[in-house]
Formats: sequence, structure tokens, C-alpha cells
Amino acid sequence: MTARAAKRRGRFEPATWILLSPWILALIVFVAYPFGFSFALSFYDYSPLNPAAAKFLGLANYAEALKDPLFWTALKNTLVFVFGTIPFTTSLALGLALGLKRAFKGRDFYRAGFFLPTVVSIVVISLVWKGLYAPEGPLSALAQSLGLVPPRWLLDPNTALASIMAMDVWAASGYYMVIFLAGLQAIPEELYEAAALEGASSWQRLRHITLPMLKPTFLFVLVVNSVRSLQIFTEVFVMTGGGPLHSTVTSVFYLYEQAFYKFRLGYASAIAYLLFSLTLLLAFVQVKWLKLEGPKS
Amino acid sequence: MNGLMKGLLASSVMALLITGCGGAPKSKKETVVFWQFFPAEQIQPVLDEFAKQNPDLDVQMEQLTWQSGLEKITAATAAGNVPDLCELGSTWFPRFASQGALADWSDSTAPLATGMVLADMARVNGKAYGLPWVVGTRALFWNKDLFAKAGLDTSKAPETWPELLEASRKINALGGGVAGYGVNAGERYVLFKKFMPYGWGNGGTLLTPDGKGSAFDSRANLEALDFLLTLGKNGRVDKQDQLDEAFMQGKLGAQISGAWLFRKIPKQAPDLRYGVALVPKPATDHGTHASFAGGELLASFAKSKNPTGAWRLAKFLASREAALLLCKANQSVQPAVVGAVADAYYQSRPNEAVMVEQLASAVPTPNHPAWLDMESAIEDEVEKALYGKETAATAITNASKRIDALAKTTEPAAR
Repeated sequence: MTARAAKRRGRFEPATWILLSPWILALIVFVAYPFGFSFALSFYDYSPLNPAAAKFLGLANYAEALKDPLFWTALKNTLVFVFGTIPFTTSLALGLALGLKRAFKGRDFYRAGFFLPTVVSIVVISLVWKGLYAPEGPLSALAQSLGLVPPRWLLDPNTALASIMAMDVWAASGYYMVIFLAGLQAIPEELYEAAALEGASSWQRLRHITLPMLKPTFLFVLVVNSVRSLQIFTEVFVMTGGGPLHSTVTSVFYLYEQAFYKFRLGYASAIAYLLFSLTLLLAFVQVKWLKLEGPKS
Repeated sequence: MNGLMKGLLASSVMALLITGCGGAPKSKKETVVFWQFFPAEQIQPVLDEFAKQNPDLDVQMEQLTWQSGLEKITAATAAGNVPDLCELGSTWFPRFASQGALADWSDSTAPLATGMVLADMARVNGKAYGLPWVVGTRALFWNKDLFAKAGLDTSKAPETWPELLEASRKINALGGGVAGYGVNAGERYVLFKKFMPYGWGNGGTLLTPDGKGSAFDSRANLEALDFLLTLGKNGRVDKQDQLDEAFMQGKLGAQISGAWLFRKIPKQAPDLRYGVALVPKPATDHGTHASFAGGELLASFAKSKNPTGAWRLAKFLASREAALLLCKANQSVQPAVVGAVADAYYQSRPNEAVMVEQLASAVPTPNHPAWLDMESAIEDEVEKALYGKETAATAITNASKRIDALAKTTEPAAR
């Protein structure tokens, strides 16, 4: 970057501020303010029905969460969800991207098809899958036709969370496939040409060119998907309501219940901030692990 | 994770904008802002009738959704930008009332109390904070064809526990994907409404009369749970929509369900031969045909701008004529007025009339501020028993301990 360009970039015309102001305002009102407000709330006993009676509790909400068995159940379920889906989502997305990178007839159709779940409302997806998992639904019928006893899917505490996870892998892979496709396209063709000249097999090209070059993409996918998965809520809300026997209660679902069914906004905020700390920690570990400064995109 | 707080703030700001704009004087008419959950095509004719009779009032109706309505009301209450009149579900109601969010209507509703079904639904700590509008209950839905196939009497529904159990056993034995009885599980705020009718019918209760302790750990409730578990073994355990689906497909002998089926069955299973009956009682000479009573209340907030307009609208909506008009359009709820069953509409619809009749022995949930927690506690433990994770006796004792701890929370508002 030339010195002149840097200077030009650093200068903010009044027009810049005016044009940016709607966005900045929205950021302050809808992100920064709630972010700070909920942090403050986490130290209070606060009911939205009677805000005047709010009481300062110090760290009591946090202490209560750490002693609350359902908080731990929710956290355990959330972590099972995160670590149980991400390897599958990531490998499926990468596999799809590799398969759909080459030109072949109908490629765009498949690309669009796998991406489709991303643009469909997750509520709609959840409702459809709830039907698929129904005892009279097609999945049970399929199992029966194969001579198997169909699992109870969402009704069995042992399979309910796994059923939601399977749906999530299907629904989320398309989005990360597109990210991987973008990453793949950024890899210079010359590298493959050179490798081909040296007689590298396709596995060697994947192992020594594609995967290392995709490192920034991996990091982005992992961090974004972890942050998203730690906040899993809608699927649970629509499909199981946290049941049966709390087997699908996740952290955000639990804090939602505390906030909007039990009106304990302070306690819910404390849970939110505990989850936030965990999210930060996980992102930090991922960045360290992939030894990169951060995603470029 | 801050999506939640974002949503809350966003909706409170929206509420502010909406009510702020709505309050602008457009005419000399006084405005009444009314939030409710019924589809516009069902409520609008009722509001039109109100407008005819009250030309000086301009009702600004806003339809809330079941997905986000409670959040919206909560956010509006926190922000102090509340509607004048609001529909509140009976299970949310005690929280709002006990935390001082609602207007005290004890004096205005007192003269109406004798004509109301379930007037107690609006009472918290001896005061009335609302007006029961429409109510709903659960009754026994039974499939006449399956009863016939199993060699049972199709001229009358099972009236006692042994009769229901025998019917479930015989129908369950038919095989071919047919189940005898449907027990709920796998979702929240449903199982309680299907279990407690047997508990109440057997003389069981939830709280001590002063509301300060649990009375749940009783022989009556234990027998009811044992009965439910036996029914579960002679039927299927599933979510409500699946049970309704199975019932409409002719694959379920009997279940306790709600009036929403009166709209669904003619559309999805017009040929289904079914009957509706009061929830069976323990024995011919013992117990009652109890059921769960829930409903919608009309309430005004302590901070509402037009309390008199709100009361006028509420009184009209809860009147026999207006409530009947809405209930006929909706079919899932019944008017909260005494003697509604005498109306020609119900006289020509025996199944819907059973619902109105069932209301007479239906029991509302306690108006305790911690009620939803108590309901969750019962559902948790009953579900554990259904899944064989604990015995019926342990389930009842554990639920009772949890209820007791919640009831003894001296200042529930502080929770």
C-alpha cells in the first residue's frame, strides 16, 4: 500500500460518517447496548414484569448456575452437540466441495441443492424433520421395511439429541461447502500442475497441497460453526422442547426458558455470559491450534 | 448468544414505536390498544360488533403469535409500554399478577362473578386481576370403530378407570399398528394436563389449602400415576400431534385430547367415527370426572393508558354473546359464562357440548407465582416414571418435594 493510499484511507469525510451512521446506530442500539445491559443484568435479580424491584446480587447468579444441575446438563448436551456435529459437518462439507469443484454436467444443480437448506428457515427444516422422525414417518417405515425395529428417535432420551444432530449436519453442511469451494478456488492451479509433473498421486495432492492451503478456510469454518453450534436453540425449541427427560436441553434453550417462562432475566444473563466465556475460550483454542493469526476473510 | 437480549431489546423498541405511533390522535375517538392471539378473521367480527355499540371507542387490535407473544408482552411490560387490554394465558397469569404488573379489577369484576365459569382463574392473593374470557378443557376422545372391532360396547364411552383400561387392553391386542390408549411424553406443558385429571378425579390435590406447601404426595395421586403407567403399557407414549394424528388415522383407541380436534377431524378424517366423553372416574361410586381447565384471561396493566376503555372492551368480550361468537368461529375454546351449553349451537353439536359439560368438573391450576416450575417438576418426575427411570412412588415423592420447595419460596417475585 502506498503512503498516499494509506492517507486516503485514514481520512474520514463527514459524508463517510453520515453514510455509516445508520449502521453504527443499529450496532449501538441492537448489539452494543444489549451486550452491556445483559452483562449488568447478570449481577441482578431482575424480573421484566417488575423492573423497579431489581436487586443487586453480586455474583450470586453465577454461583447459582454453577450449582444448578440443569445448567450442567444443558452444557453437557451443548458440548455433545458441538463436538458431535462439527467433525461430520466439516468433513461432509469438504467432501462435497471437493466433489463439486470439478466441472461436470449438472454441477450447479447439485451445488444449489446442497446449499438449499441454508436459505430455508430452520423452523421449517425442524418441522419437516420432526415429521420424518415421527413413529408413522418415512424413517420408521424405512427401518421397518428393512426388518429393523425403528428407534423412537425424538421420543427416546438416548436418541433424541443424536436425531437433532443428524439433522443439523445435513442442514449446515451446504453453507460450509460453499466456504470450502471458495477456499479451493483460491488455491493456484500451478501448484497442482507442478505436483502433477513431479508425479504426485491425487491423495498426495490432497494431503500436501489442498489441505495445507485450506488451513485459513478450516479455521474460519471451525470457529464460525462452533460459535453457531454453541447457540443451538431453534431446533430444540421446535422439535423436542428440551425433552424427553431433559436429554435435549441446551444452554441457550435453558436460558431462554429462564428468561421468558420463569422471568429470571438476571439468571438467564449470567448463563449467557458463562456460555460466552466458553465460546471465547473455544475460539481461542482453535486459533492457537491451527497456529494462525486469524481468518483472512 | 446475545441474540436473546438483542431480540428482547429489539422487540421492546418495536413495541415502543408501535404503541407510540398508535397513540397519536387521529380522531376525537378514544383509543383502546388490545393485544390478543386469535386469528384476525375470528376476532374481527366480534370487534366490529363492539365498534357498533361503542362508537366513541377506537379499538386498535394487534394479533400476537404463540411463538413470540409472551416475549412481546414481557418486553412491553419491562419497558412500560403496555397495551390497554391484553389476552393472557392462565398459566402465565399468576406471574404477571403477583409481580404487580396488572391492574386490580376486584371491584369491577365482583358483580359478574356469579355468571362466570372458573372465576377463580383470575384470582391471585384474594384479588381479581382479570376477567376469564374463553376457557378450554380436555376430555376423552374414543374411536367407535376400534371399540366395535375389539368387541366392546359402542353405545357408551368408558366411564370408569377399569372400563377404560379394559377397552385399552382389548384394542391394543388388535395389533396392526393399533394402540389402545395414548399417553403424552417428549414435550413440555402437555403431560401434566393428561395426568392430573386422573389425580384430581381420584381426590388428589397439588397444594395445601393455604398454598404454602405441597399436598401432591398422596395415595390418590400415586394411584392415578399407577393407572396412567398401566394405560401406557396398553397403548403408546408419544407427542400430542402424533397421538392426534394416530387417532385421526384410526390407530388409537382412546386418548385425552382437546377441542382443537373439532376443526381438524372434519378436514383430515371426515369419516372417523368417534365420540367425546367426560374423563373417566376411578369407580362408579368413587371420585369425579375431573379434567384440566385452562383458558384465556383479559387483563389490563397497572401502566395502561386507558383503563376505563379497557374495562369496557373486556366486559363486552367476556359477555355471553360476544364470547359465543368467538368460540363458534374458533371451536377450540368455550365461553367462560355459566349456561353456554344451552345455546342452540352446542345443542346441535353433542361432541362440542361435552367439552362445555366437562368444564363443570374441570380444575384450574393453582394461581401460584411459581406454578410453571411446579408443573415442570410434576412433568419431569411423571415422565421419568413413564420411561421406567423411577417407580411411581418415587416420582410422586420427588415431585412433591420439589413443589414443596417452590411453594415455600416466600417471595416468589424475587426468584
